[in-house]
Amino acid sequence: MLVARNLRKSFGEVQATDDVTVAFGRDPGEMVFVVGPNGAGKTTLVNLLTGRLAPDAGQVLLVDDADVEWDALEGDGSDATRPWDAGAERDITDLTPERRVHAGVVRSFQVVKLFEEMTARENLRTAVLSERGLLSSATGLRDGYPEVEAAVEDLLERFRLGDRADDVAEELPHGDRKLLDVAMSFALDPEYLLLDEPTSGVSTGETELVIETIADVSREEGVTTITIEHDMDIVSGYADRVVALHQGRVHGRGPPEMLETDDELRRLLLGVET
Amino acid sequence: MSDDRRLPGVVDRDGERRVRVMAGLELSRGRAALALLGVALLFAVPDLTPLLPGVKLLVVHQGLLFGFAAVGLNLLLRHTRLVSFGHAAFFGAGAYATAVLATHYEVAGLFTLLATALVAAAVVATVVGYLSLRHTGLYFALLTLAFGQLLFAIAQGQQFLGGSDGLSVRPGPGRGGAPTILGQVFAPEVYELLVYYLTVVVVLVGLLVMYRLANSPIGNALDAIGQDRTRAQFIGIPTRRYVWAAFVISGVYGGIAGGLYGVAVKHVRPEATLHFLRSGEILFMAILGGFQTLLGPLIGGVVFFFLKIGGRNFTDYFDALTGVVLLLVVFGFPRGIVGSLGGDRSVRARAAAVRSDPTVVLEWAVAGVGRLGGALRTAARNVRSVFGGT
Repeated sequence: MLVARNLRKSFGEVQATDDVTVAFGRDPGEMVFVVGPNGAGKTTLVNLLTGRLAPDAGQVLLVDDADVEWDALEGDGSDATRPWDAGAERDITDLTPERRVHAGVVRSFQVVKLFEEMTARENLRTAVLSERGLLSSATGLRDGYPEVEAAVEDLLERFRLGDRADDVAEELPHGDRKLLDVAMSFALDPEYLLLDEPTSGVSTGETELVIETIADVSREEGVTTITIEHDMDIVSGYADRVVALHQGRVHGRGPPEMLETDDELRRLLLGVET
Repeated sequence: MSDDRRLPGVVDRDGERRVRVMAGLELSRGRAALALLGVALLFAVPDLTPLLPGVKLLVVHQGLLFGFAAVGLNLLLRHTRLVSFGHAAFFGAGAYATAVLATHYEVAGLFTLLATALVAAAVVATVVGYLSLRHTGLYFALLTLAFGQLLFAIAQGQQFLGGSDGLSVRPGPGRGGAPTILGQVFAPEVYELLVYYLTVVVVLVGLLVMYRLANSPIGNALDAIGQDRTRAQFIGIPTRRYVWAAFVISGVYGGIAGGLYGVAVKHVRPEATLHFLRSGEILFMAILGGFQTLLGPLIGGVVFFFLKIGGRNFTDYFDALTGVVLLLVVFGFPRGIVGSLGGDRSVRARAAAVRSDPTVVLEWAVAGVGRLGGALRTAARNVRSVFGGT
């Protein structure tokens, strides 16, 4: 389980993350969506969890304990207790991003980040080599590992990029770029995958394809996904659980039905008056 | 099917016969012939120079050595996209290592001197790299420049290092000799030839190693870091450590070149080896020859030395001449000499364009001025950010 424990982060006067306590991955393969209006602190939370930003206070923990009373932890988030064995906890707050990746915490970016001058295949190969600890070899050849090449082919197929494998990343259509970005993240064999608006900027027709592919692969592999998403139809359609943020605090969490039943949340997210 | 462990030879790839040099390096027959010709030419230089008026072996030799340093620099430039303005530091460290050892410690063995040059450059590169690589872009360039000038100032100020006169690399009684090769003393002409041939061998091995490195997983990681450092970090690459390693390897190339320079020229002066203009020249060689290619920097080095010597005979404004050449390369042939001769035939394409419509030159000039304006604006912004903060 990936746990944010009393995380705080401010930028000047703005309290972007204000004492956030939340746990992801209660069931492996669970799809959690993080929702909230602009400025709610969604991206900051992802940045804190993945090491892009260091928190002012609080911890990021990996907890290996299935028998935890999660509601106690998540009660109001203001003063989280530690309802697990000390031995089951690993504090990753001070780990660099690259070390977090090897610990299983992987992310994508809202504005896709790819190795623009490499082909789709080369982008994926770089990620697979990294995951297998082969990148430090000075004597091998970058395309000389049959098992890596096989893994790359498999990813190309699963993310429907086979036809575009040898196109340079910067020339790929936007939807494929998003898919490639997510595919690279999957190549790293994550346990927790944080996706910052994987469907933003994707044409309406392609949105379903992107999210459907993510859902398929993460369920197959048992990867917990933590996705920031603005499209409430997607959230309702795919979420196992929803975490709503507002002004840097956890406004609420629960099943996706809460988007229908929580009037306050509806007002915040959609501007709907009831 | 060919076995990948087999020795060099001819292999069949989908019906096309290719010459296999080593694992991962196979050339078409045309290219193999060209490579062979190049190697033969390198070995024949001492026989050719007497036939050409005004061309001295030492000029070609120095061109190769600085070009070799540029091959090292290019590991950073081409793959990690870092512009180092201080590579003369490693060249100088290598050169001074040979001089200090020969002058102060009476070490005469050529290979001992070269090994020390390598180690000295590696140590300097490790320290300079550690301190400079906290930054990227402009700040990195400025830091490498600063460390380079620091070494220059030390060499000029320290009597131990000979001050601005430098030190000779002439061990032995009376300081009249040259280093010995495997314990043997050679006549000056023979010594010069032997050191030149050694340089050729070192250069060829260095190129093969660099080729292999560029095509290895490490080369892949460095490419990734150069193209998007944040993404590289978030696919689990410890970017600082990788770039640091590349920086040290790059410095070692400079150090080997500097060591060979020391034993070839037999006198090391700060102006000739450590000055920041030498750093600029090494960078210039890489761009002139084509920094997206393996061979470009080396060829850039030789061409540059001919420009330098020829330019001096031809005009007092030698630096202006290289400046004009640099402008021509950047605006007309951004891929450099080797890059432009490569696959896309851009030299021929441009020559054909000029033949069919000479006014196209005007268009290029306009576009060039536009790009120059853009570059100047960027430079101005960078300078502002240095002095005013980002």
